[in-house]
Amino acid sequence: MNPGDRVRVDRADRTYEGVLLPSSTDDHLVVKLEGGYNVGVDRAEAEIETLEEDVYEIDGTDATGPEDDDASDEGADSEIEFDDDLPTISLLSTGGTIASTVDYRTGAVTAQFDAEDVLRAVPDLAGRANYRGRVVANILSENMEPPLWQDLARAVYEEIEAGADGVVVMHGTDTMQYSASALSFMLETPVPIVFTGSQRSADRPSSDNVMNAVSAVEAAKSDCAEVMVCMHGSESDDVCALHRGTRVRKNHTSRRDAFETVGAEPLGEIDYDTEEIEFRRDYQQRGEADLELREDLADDVELLKFTPGMDPAFLDVVEGSEGLILEGTGLGHVHTDLIPRIEELVEDGTTVVMTSQCLEGRVCDRVYDTGRDLLEAGVIEAGDTLPGTAKVKLMWALENSDDVEEAMGTSLAGEIQERSVPWE
Amino acid sequence: MSEYDYDELGLVAGLEIHQQLDTATKLFCQCPTELREPEESTRSFTRYLHPTRSELGEIDQAALEESKVDREFEYLAYDTTCLVEEDDEPPHELDAEALETALEIAQLMEMKPVDQAHVMRKIVVDGSNTTGFQRSTLIATEGEIETSEGAVGIEDMLLEEESAQRVEETDDGVRYSLDRLGIPLVEIGTSPDISTPEQALEAAERIGMLLRSTGKVKRGLGTIRQDVNVSIEEGARVEIKGVQSLDDIDDIVRNEVGRQAELVDIAAELTEREASVGEVQDVTSVFEDTDSGVIAGALNSGGSVMAVPLYGFDGIVGREIAPDRRLGTELSDHAKRHGAGGIFHTDELPAYGVTEDEVDDLRDAVGAGPEDAVAIVAADTDVAEAAIDAAAERAGTALEGVPEETRDANDDGTTRYLRPLPGAARMYPETDVPPVEPDPSEVPEPELLTEKVERYQEEYDLGEGLAEQVAYGEYMPLFEDVVADGVDPTLAASTLESTLTELRRDDVPVENLEREHLEGVFAMAESGDLPNEGVPDLLTALAEDPDRTAEEAADEAGLGGADEEEVRDAIAEVVERNEEQVEEEGMQAFSGLMGECMGALRGKADGDLVSELLREEIQKRA
Repeated sequence: MNPGDRVRVDRADRTYEGVLLPSSTDDHLVVKLEGGYNVGVDRAEAEIETLEEDVYEIDGTDATGPEDDDASDEGADSEIEFDDDLPTISLLSTGGTIASTVDYRTGAVTAQFDAEDVLRAVPDLAGRANYRGRVVANILSENMEPPLWQDLARAVYEEIEAGADGVVVMHGTDTMQYSASALSFMLETPVPIVFTGSQRSADRPSSDNVMNAVSAVEAAKSDCAEVMVCMHGSESDDVCALHRGTRVRKNHTSRRDAFETVGAEPLGEIDYDTEEIEFRRDYQQRGEADLELREDLADDVELLKFTPGMDPAFLDVVEGSEGLILEGTGLGHVHTDLIPRIEELVEDGTTVVMTSQCLEGRVCDRVYDTGRDLLEAGVIEAGDTLPGTAKVKLMWALENSDDVEEAMGTSLAGEIQERSVPWE
Repeated sequence: MSEYDYDELGLVAGLEIHQQLDTATKLFCQCPTELREPEESTRSFTRYLHPTRSELGEIDQAALEESKVDREFEYLAYDTTCLVEEDDEPPHELDAEALETALEIAQLMEMKPVDQAHVMRKIVVDGSNTTGFQRSTLIATEGEIETSEGAVGIEDMLLEEESAQRVEETDDGVRYSLDRLGIPLVEIGTSPDISTPEQALEAAERIGMLLRSTGKVKRGLGTIRQDVNVSIEEGARVEIKGVQSLDDIDDIVRNEVGRQAELVDIAAELTEREASVGEVQDVTSVFEDTDSGVIAGALNSGGSVMAVPLYGFDGIVGREIAPDRRLGTELSDHAKRHGAGGIFHTDELPAYGVTEDEVDDLRDAVGAGPEDAVAIVAADTDVAEAAIDAAAERAGTALEGVPEETRDANDDGTTRYLRPLPGAARMYPETDVPPVEPDPSEVPEPELLTEKVERYQEEYDLGEGLAEQVAYGEYMPLFEDVVADGVDPTLAASTLESTLTELRRDDVPVENLEREHLEGVFAMAESGDLPNEGVPDLLTALAEDPDRTAEEAADEAGLGGADEEEVRDAIAEVVERNEEQVEEEGMQAFSGLMGECMGALRGKADGDLVSELLREEIQKRA
């Protein structure tokens, strides 16, 4: 008796007939009944008889009914014709909700698709560009790590070098803002690099993946040669917002329009209906910069959020690290008692940078005594850099900048806004 | 129509009953299960839906087909809906109250609950669910209910979320309202054990009674929907959707049996006549100078008249197969699905402005003789072509007998063609909601309504009619609560079942009365602050201005609260005014004066007290 077999299950006074599915617990068998409903049956109480073996093949990624083999193979082998009149867009997949299907072991959604599957899953992408597909990773974005940022940056570099007119990175939404920041610092790019994902998994008809992917491809064809995030701009399927990779933040756990530009309106918008793109601010034009990759990262930089009652021992943990981003309160403060310890860390060679947990607004440690004491202790202000972005930036700056203090106070990839005009 | 021998015809029928549950919150979020008016909407948004691949790797053809039309759905949201209805937040866990109610129902139908219930996604891409699927869970199987003609099996019970209410078609798609989306719903399917129309009605009534016995089901229009599956041995399985009124079920079954039997007869006769369906032809030129408004209208806007000869069909297209419905009506239903207004056929012509000469020309044009029939459609050319093809196809099916299909219930107990039978339901597991393990041992067995009727008669001394009205009525739970609080059962029953009806007849807006109002009125009556005679007036006052409490309304209307002194004064005044009569008639004047006193004290005093004091006052004077 194996998953995929047709079975009859007798349990006390009732009988179920259907296909055995992989169960999520040891206590229950899960049977898919004739009408399509799944039902869990107490294993201990059940007597099972196999009626027919392997009615469905369920393990692995190719979960296909026997009669559907042809259709499935045809899709897998399909060669997409090259059209000289269309730009070439590279689709890089790192996994995530946009390319996900059901995982039977956990019952949750996991990433199992490569870039070609995405093309198959989103037929609306056809005819907009010639596509190059590439799988850089197949992970949930909470499992993303800095070495993968480097792999991704290299892959993007290679794709652009090979002639891509734009790059779309399919990425899980949880840590998309970190990866987008990382690529913003690591790459000088002559073409658009657009991150996109979905907040509703691709296995539901209401998924936002189609609109986000289509809009991302359109953005990748545009004139804006920056690292951007392209996600829903509202709860409706009407516009996608284009956010600068260093200013974007996931600000909601589940909404389609979870991604927001902090401290400003988004860089641009794409109308899903007309496919027109409008930009609010100046941006780096296509072809303006020469392609360049500076991928080195310091690997021991931490981000610490100060909260009342914080155990000062947390500062001991980062002793000897190259860098520490503090997410302070208000204008950029921590408890006064922590300042001497911070001073020791700085003297010991750790670069300590202050950001604010307010997220909106600029750090300013010259207003109150605590702030002045922090500056005195050697803490560097990061302006209005977002804390997560500051961490990625410091990792990069420690390896690529001659003057880290100056770098952290200067906008390298749009992460610091010179003027505070959040309404623009 | 003559009564049929259902046994001989081999009637097999089954029911599918959808009942909304009256829970505090929706099935997958904490929003109230409250219906709203579209005008009360506070937000709206638009979405598209896209087809997906199922967990067994099948891309659904039907879903693919539907999604080819790029339709935009607009949703109206309210201050009573949240991100879950908007598909912008994962569903919360399955509502415990809904599950418990479902288990109660399962118990009443002697069903066996599943060990572990898995929430499924049933794909629906018409926009009626923001997710693109309806969440549905198999809760129990293998039950049974009794009818006088034998047991009827209950195959399964599902606990589902109600879909969004369709508001209207828009230029780009459809507008839906989110208030109804997510209200818990049980779907109960019987086995095909029903063999007469009467048994179908009885089974539906029995299931309805069992559902209402829980006291936790919604009442009123649209809260219960019945689907009926009917077939006879030589016929075919036909699903009839959306029977709104329970009383129609036997008529629906009866008419469907009749329709199938007539179609079987028609097929036999057509076969004998070696009938066939000819080629579709353009007959516009026949009607160039027509006086028929319908046809001229279509031609004047550049349309065409398309015809199909039906060889050997003469007299059969016009044959009645259900009350006021002919084979031609079936052809017409199919034509309408493709946008035409309907068809004309030679069995009904000349009529509708079409002349005898035109009918002759039409027959000539398509090569139809006197034993043949011709059906025509006049409309825009592409519509006319699609519609006549559909009508011709349906005529072809008539040669074979009864087509399997889904039909829509009409108000008069007949049905009309809706669409082909659906394929197997398209199901995926709902991975956002963990499976639940129902514990039937914790579920109380509710008292049946039939048992309540008996108890109300025995314990409360209600008459059988009133007891039945209360038990089966929508106020049953309120009645039980207030009686438990000490309110006189007769007062509660007559107020809820007759006073409210009388007030409604007098155009009092009783629909404004909430549970709190009624409870307040009963509480005042119970504590003696309001005489029973004051109840209708207080209810009227509350209905007209529902923002007040019962006490406030009573105060403002001067109802209740009259003390003995006040009553005595009022009576003395009445007696004084009628001094002569009292002196002449003595106690004989009582009944006349009683009415006058009650009028003067309207609602403020209890009748027994007035009567007692009036007697005293008359005696004093006489």
